[in-house]
Amino acid sequence: MIDPLLVFTLILLGAVGLISAGLAARNRLPLRIALRNIRRARSRSVLVVLGLLVGTAIISGSLAVGDTVSAVNLHYTKLGLGYTDEGVFGLGPTGSYQYFPQSVAGQLINASSTDPQIAGLTPEIVDTVQVFDRSTQIPQTNLNLVGTDPSASRVLGSFTSTSGASVMGPSPGMVLLDQFAANQLDAKAGDAITLYGSVPVPSTVQAVVQDDLRGGFLTAGLSGGAAFVDLSTAQLVENVSGQVNFIAVANVGSQSSGVGLSSSVSAHLNTTLSGIPGANRLGAHPLLQSQLADATAAGSGIVTIFLVFGLFSIIAGAMLIVGIFTMIAEERKGEMGMLRAIGLGRRDVVLSYYLEGLIYSAGSALAGVVVGVATGYILLYAYVQLVGSQSPGTPAVLTSFTVNDSSLLASYLAGFLLTLGTVVIASIRVSRLNIVRAIRDVPEPPPAIRTYTYLAYVGGLVLVLGALLFATTYRGTGDISEPMIAGGMILLGGALVGSRFLKNRAVFTAVGVGLVVWAGYQALQTAVLGTAHSGGIFVVFIQGIELIGGAILLFAFNAAQLAAVVERATTGRLATAPVARMGLAYPSRRVGRTAITTTIFALVLFVIVVLATYSATLTGNLSDSIGDESGGYTFFGYSAQPIRDLPGAIASNSTLAPLYANVVPLIFGLGELAIPGFPLNNYHDNVYAAASGAPVASNFYDTNAFPFQATLHGVTAAATMAQLSSNQSVAIVDGSYGGAGFSTSGHPLVSVGTVVNVVNPGTGASTNVTVIGIMKQLVLGGIWLNPTAAQSMGFNSTSGYLLKVHSGVSPTTASQATKAAFYKVGLVLVDFTAILATTIAIISGQIGLLEVFIGLGLAVGIAALGIVALRAVTERRRETGMLRATGLTKGMILKMFLIEYSFITLIGALIGGTTGLLLVYNLVLSPGASAADVTKLYIPWLNLLIVMLVTGCLATLAVISPSWRASRLPPAEAVRGIE
Amino acid sequence: MSESVVVAKEVWKIYGSGETAVPALKGVSVEFQRGEMAAVMGPSGCGKTTLLNCFSGLDDITRGQVTLEGTDIHAMPDRQKSAYRAKRAGFVFQSYNLLPILSAVENVEMPLLACATKPKEARVRASEILQQLGLGDRLNHRPSELSGGQQQRVSLARALVNHPAIVWADEPTGNLDEEGSHQVTDLLRQLNREYHQTMVVVTHDPEVAARCDRTLRMRDGNFVS
Repeated sequence: MIDPLLVFTLILLGAVGLISAGLAARNRLPLRIALRNIRRARSRSVLVVLGLLVGTAIISGSLAVGDTVSAVNLHYTKLGLGYTDEGVFGLGPTGSYQYFPQSVAGQLINASSTDPQIAGLTPEIVDTVQVFDRSTQIPQTNLNLVGTDPSASRVLGSFTSTSGASVMGPSPGMVLLDQFAANQLDAKAGDAITLYGSVPVPSTVQAVVQDDLRGGFLTAGLSGGAAFVDLSTAQLVENVSGQVNFIAVANVGSQSSGVGLSSSVSAHLNTTLSGIPGANRLGAHPLLQSQLADATAAGSGIVTIFLVFGLFSIIAGAMLIVGIFTMIAEERKGEMGMLRAIGLGRRDVVLSYYLEGLIYSAGSALAGVVVGVATGYILLYAYVQLVGSQSPGTPAVLTSFTVNDSSLLASYLAGFLLTLGTVVIASIRVSRLNIVRAIRDVPEPPPAIRTYTYLAYVGGLVLVLGALLFATTYRGTGDISEPMIAGGMILLGGALVGSRFLKNRAVFTAVGVGLVVWAGYQALQTAVLGTAHSGGIFVVFIQGIELIGGAILLFAFNAAQLAAVVERATTGRLATAPVARMGLAYPSRRVGRTAITTTIFALVLFVIVVLATYSATLTGNLSDSIGDESGGYTFFGYSAQPIRDLPGAIASNSTLAPLYANVVPLIFGLGELAIPGFPLNNYHDNVYAAASGAPVASNFYDTNAFPFQATLHGVTAAATMAQLSSNQSVAIVDGSYGGAGFSTSGHPLVSVGTVVNVVNPGTGASTNVTVIGIMKQLVLGGIWLNPTAAQSMGFNSTSGYLLKVHSGVSPTTASQATKAAFYKVGLVLVDFTAILATTIAIISGQIGLLEVFIGLGLAVGIAALGIVALRAVTERRRETGMLRATGLTKGMILKMFLIEYSFITLIGALIGGTTGLLLVYNLVLSPGASAADVTKLYIPWLNLLIVMLVTGCLATLAVISPSWRASRLPPAEAVRGIE
Repeated sequence: MSESVVVAKEVWKIYGSGETAVPALKGVSVEFQRGEMAAVMGPSGCGKTTLLNCFSGLDDITRGQVTLEGTDIHAMPDRQKSAYRAKRAGFVFQSYNLLPILSAVENVEMPLLACATKPKEARVRASEILQQLGLGDRLNHRPSELSGGQQQRVSLARALVNHPAIVWADEPTGNLDEEGSHQVTDLLRQLNREYHQTMVVVTHDPEVAARCDRTLRMRDGNFVS
């Protein structure tokens, strides 16, 4: 379905096209002038189109990445679920499917046989299994085991071999391995293997099928690795004769149309289940529907991140467009004045200008869409190269590269209308052209007092609206962006009113300082707005714009004073005096256009500095946090089947015993948490509990070194742990509950003292616990209960472990030896250091790609500078000639232009850099910071220096050609203004 | 005893080449003496401004030789030519050609700064000459804040501040009304006598020519009298 906004925009575009075509048909002369202007300076036209397409490219690139992420998730969701629209199951305490009698499935199938919305139901087993390939002698733990009817293609879709052939099955007693599992086992068709569930079952690999996460069901996603067997084999492996744990339901219609019936089918199945004895813990879940919704949401989340950060570059692009068309207007001022003088009406002149802009807009938006889509593909390609080996589904990102028609249309429309809007603004400026002043090239007079009066009215309106918005949003729990915007409106409105009565410099300097303080001084925001507001990524944009806007105002209205200081500092060598004087005079005295170029640079560098510093700070703190995350242990382990006495088993193993200092068994399950203030009261998270009173080598409370963000009454970590071991009504939680972590949206937050209700979904038992500590670590996400309390709720499965190797023992060696000893029970060891390294690599990679994407905006800055330089050479032809006549050499003229643009670039970089660092400081370190686990700001000086150097070099390249041309102007021609 | 400051011999300036070649100067030979104020008159397109540009070194010549104070200006490399203009030449143009971004005093300082004069000294000298030309109360005004006559006086101050040997003036009164024209001509004459500088004034105005020591008439790329 097409978005109504898109339809409206399409209609708007059609209307613009029709009206423009009508105007052009009725007024041929303006159209001819417009076409001639485009043709007569082709290199200029190319430059204009390049400058204009950046905004569109950023929009289309963002949408292409978002579409692809949605498409990949949809692809795997659909493959993973096959024709399964709903799943009937009940969850056990560890989050796995609970077994129930197969007869229950039979009764449900019979009861639903007349339902016209259901095409079929089939009982299945979905569990985990360990596989040992006897041919290759390689084990692999924790694969998905899917046991289904031999004619499972009804519900799972067809299997395809790695060579592309269709595969029937799985045949009785045989196993289909997906590609990921086969790669881990180095397995091929015909290999003899053993499946280790509850009972070892020898089997043979029937075929290796394409890696498409088929049958992933609840774990559908990019986890990978599955073994498909027939139902009776699965029952044998798991030792659950006559039982199943899942019923797959397929609706009538295709995969796309069937999902539309999911809500009604689920409701009907739940009603039916309530009447079947032994099915009281089962429920029908609209799996495909909810996973499709998640997939789409993930895509739109990515689009939001790209667009919010891209907004800075889009604004920079819009400013560049204004700059380009203002330049064109000023260049042609004399010519347009002459056209007026020989009888063309004001309307004709404006129309020719508008039509020229329309053609540029249409062409550049089209080019921008193509460039954006290509950029999106390149980014995803880079992403796949970066993390492809760490996740089995990643390569499909490229094969699933998707750009929806609606995205193409939306980005074209947005880019076109953005460009056209600025053309219209520039056209309005042109329409005010004074013929005599235009022909004689006399500068426009300064604004009359009347102009300031009008601006004061506008400012008054902005001020009142800002005050109203502030009054209604400054308290409460709404989005903090709203009062932040309101504060900015009040300041700017006040400035416009004030400029009517006071000196501009005083008013705008004060407002510049005000905006920087308002957006950058977090303590002020906390004092005025409180801490109850919510905040999304959009507030980064608002604060960024206010910070940069304030800094630019501060610079623009004090540029002359700043330039005087710089000039005094640089005229120590007498030879540089005239060069420094002229190089600094233009940027400091023509502040309007300097501010535009500086803002463009500041906007782009701001985002790059924010992303680079944020990434460096997160990864730096993660590296520092290894002690916090691990609690002093080397591995966290979990097993598919509980290991009765892992410490004893290791102690009695001559290979393993010398490797380990501590082995701590943990009760490990899945709980439902009801948390005050959190809307989803069945929030699921892991439940941990460690036995108290165990021997020292396996006693969690004596051996752990987990630090805390906060403890009740500020007691020590040891005291908090001691209380947890003895008091059944207390609990501790991981750091994400305290607001730590990269992404905490949708995650419940608690403070110490909060009472949380914990339910074991497997037994229905529940208990209220008071949170007495919020840990710093994030790797072991969940809630830690007192062992007696956990056991009384039915959490009995000791399937989690913390292990610490002796000093000097290689974690890799220890891990390999331990997994080899315990693969039959599916022991998985997670190396804290390795997981942090992977997390760091992924964060750096993802933010790095975003940086590259945003770096597109740098092209805007460079183009802006090139255009300003071109404009200056043309405008200042006569002045340059006069300087040459006065005695300045060619080299001095070249230096003069280079100083001018270096000054602009440097100021832009300084403003973007300092405001960016300030914003990151506020995000991670200030008292109200959102990332509570960050203790130190890491500034990637080297990276930032490289960015600045590259920017400087590119900026110099952009201005060197026009500056060179200026220095080579023959003075005799230049002084006469002959082109 | 008179001393030739400008000596031009058989100077040709041809624009374009081949069939489209247009000779603007056709073997012009002339001398200007130190302290002389000479007017160059002639119809539009006769080559007056080309002559001024070629003689002053602003433009290259096709053939011939121009020596300024004994040095062949067209044999100099660009850097040396620029240095000569900064120290020994001054220019006044019809459209003033002031730098709009700079104040009056800053405009006048530019030739001094180009000669590596210390900024403080440059400011003092620029202020003095502007006061001498009656613009003491307009030192910090931008050109757009001055009348045409005032702008031309700033332009004159800029041309003379370095005490150049030669002042080249191209239609210095062309944009001025009668009163302004009188003022500027009087000033040129007064400064010429005061500093004993050579002044070559291209003009259409017979009254300006009448105030000069000598009037040269051009037609079709060469002098006719």
